[in-house]
Amino acid sequence: MRRAWPRIARAPVVAALAAALALAAAGCGGRAGEAGPVVRVLLPASERPFWKPLADRFEAAHPGVHVELIEGPESTDLREDLYTASLLARDPTFDLVYMDVIWTAKFAAAGWLRPLDTAFDTTEQRAMLPAALNAGRWHGALWRIPVRTDVGVLYSRSDLLAQAHLAVPETFDQFFAAARALQSPPERWGFVWQGKQYEGLVCNYLEVLRGCGGFWVDPATLKVGLDRPEAARALAFMRRCLGPDPISPPGVTTYQEEESRRLFQDGRAVFLRNWPYVWALAQAGGSPVAGRIAVSPMVHEPGRESGVTLGGWGLGVSAFSRHPDLAIAFAKSTVTLEGQRLLCEKTGFAPARTGAYADSTLLAANPFLPKLEALHAHAVARPAIARYDVASDILQRHLSAALTGGETPARALAAAAAETREALGRAAEAR
Amino acid sequence: MSARSEARERAALLAPALLLLGAAVVAPIVRLVMLSLERTGSGPGLPSTFAGLAMHVRLWQDGRWWDALAHTLVFTGSSVGLEMVLGIAFALLLDRPFAGRRWARALVLVPWALPTAVMALAWGWIFNDSFGVLNDVLGRIGLVSGPVAWLGRPGTAMVAMVVADVWKTTPFVALVVLAGLQGIPRSVIDAARIDGASPPAVLWHVVLPLVRPACLVALAFRAAQAFGAFDLPYVLTGGGPGGATETVSLYAYRSFYRYLDFGYAAAIAVQGAALALLLFALVLWLSRRAGVDA
Repeated sequence: MRRAWPRIARAPVVAALAAALALAAAGCGGRAGEAGPVVRVLLPASERPFWKPLADRFEAAHPGVHVELIEGPESTDLREDLYTASLLARDPTFDLVYMDVIWTAKFAAAGWLRPLDTAFDTTEQRAMLPAALNAGRWHGALWRIPVRTDVGVLYSRSDLLAQAHLAVPETFDQFFAAARALQSPPERWGFVWQGKQYEGLVCNYLEVLRGCGGFWVDPATLKVGLDRPEAARALAFMRRCLGPDPISPPGVTTYQEEESRRLFQDGRAVFLRNWPYVWALAQAGGSPVAGRIAVSPMVHEPGRESGVTLGGWGLGVSAFSRHPDLAIAFAKSTVTLEGQRLLCEKTGFAPARTGAYADSTLLAANPFLPKLEALHAHAVARPAIARYDVASDILQRHLSAALTGGETPARALAAAAAETREALGRAAEAR
Repeated sequence: MSARSEARERAALLAPALLLLGAAVVAPIVRLVMLSLERTGSGPGLPSTFAGLAMHVRLWQDGRWWDALAHTLVFTGSSVGLEMVLGIAFALLLDRPFAGRRWARALVLVPWALPTAVMALAWGWIFNDSFGVLNDVLGRIGLVSGPVAWLGRPGTAMVAMVVADVWKTTPFVALVVLAGLQGIPRSVIDAARIDGASPPAVLWHVVLPLVRPACLVALAFRAAQAFGAFDLPYVLTGGGPGGATETVSLYAYRSFYRYLDFGYAAAIAVQGAALALLLFALVLWLSRRAGVDA
């Protein structure tokens, strides 16, 4: 009896296996039999509706081609993980990589992207904002076509400044004076920003660092500037915000963009450092601060220049794409004037194409554009180095420790400089 | 039926399970250990070369690794310790008859059923200095005068992480211990009472020794989970401030996905897992010895 059991079971098992195989074969056959190539890109789910008109327009111009906009997580880190996992496996699923500015060197160095210099020629390149275009360069080649850009913005409460007969501050001292004069903590704080240990902290620090005349890592020489006096002064500015006689709430060291925006938009802060997306939200009907906001670049030391950290998104072409020509064609279609209109008119995104800033359609939809274009003159790029994430995490950790009392500022910066040099040295040795 | 054919049949029946185990557990572990012996380059295709124990040696010289290990041990010790005490207390309460006991048992499970990431987001807002409920409540009672940035200081951030974890996983301990309590025959307790044991003596000398196996199971599961904590620090603190809440898992994840330093990430995972196993053996040995003494 016991021995007969497997033999009886054999027939159904074989049948089931055969059925499964047949189904799998039919599935494969079905896909291959579908008409036309597909170009795929992974986007944050919330952006898909804005990209749909671009995809539709491209499909109309390329009959038989399908552009698939795959909805991904909102978190930049999680989308980067998805792209990383796919590209590591040399998987051709994603033809285009919708890239943050800081991914360029990492993805290009890993051999996951196609160089785009011939496909996107000099004339086309010249039509882009130089800062946005350069964020796609690494080791002399172009790996990413910029689609939309971001810059750090200092938002001020123009009504409060006017009441006190104060101008929008330009220097650190003017800034502290205005913040202290206009704040009444904890109901209203002088300055809110992003002080949590994450990429945003680096973006905030870089602006102050440029305002002190310093630098982080020179991508060409790999020189590290974190143990120079400018870096110490920039950190001192941030610590001065936290006290004694603070102008920032103690929790600013836990804030990302949204926590700081809410305080500002509720009328509970005089100054806010954030990105352009705040403008539309804070000026919308129902916002307590609508019509009472001024924008400017970050403040600086007397005699120095403002710095605004450059962000933004662009398209790279996967080295494993089965339809690289179509992928490139789609990427190029997003940066034509018409493409930029479709993407930026309703969203308030800042276009990457210079000409779009003079476009009457876009200007009518977004009066903020001329200010955004002017801010780009102060753009500070994060260094295009293959191990950017390592360098950024080192800086984040030590800045955060110095701001929250885990380390003295001098020790934090000395350690950050030493660790960064070691990591860059290790990268060179492993190449 | 001959003994040989029976043995052959036994092997044949075991084979699928063994194959599955080998493919799903043994092979990845072997691959991980081998990966930890490689150095990952940063050139095109991320080439790796055999590096012997170089990555493991680098780990011992890495201050960030020792920090992460210390945070993980502090987190595991304090959260699991509190969860065991609270969980056993809850289980003892839920074991007594009272009106609405069924509802109480169901309600206690709610935190356990929530996804950690969702729970961590909610706790993030609770601990927020300006909008947080915690500061509001403490301010009303008069315990704090101004806003406190709970997640903005290394010490309080770790406390906040332990509180969130205890809130979420105490129900798990309570449930497992409760199951153990219900397995104790009523007659044993009655016998102790008849022999004149006071209620605390019954609890200490009869009930607790009898639920010890259930407690050990809960302890084992919780210790392993807490040592591998990833989602809670990832969402609640991001490992900050100043790296003060970075755990071993978070460091391994970052080394792999963010730094693409696969060999090194594997070394972190291998040594982390080995230490977790060691810790586990130690806990088991200690509790067994305590059991013999009692």
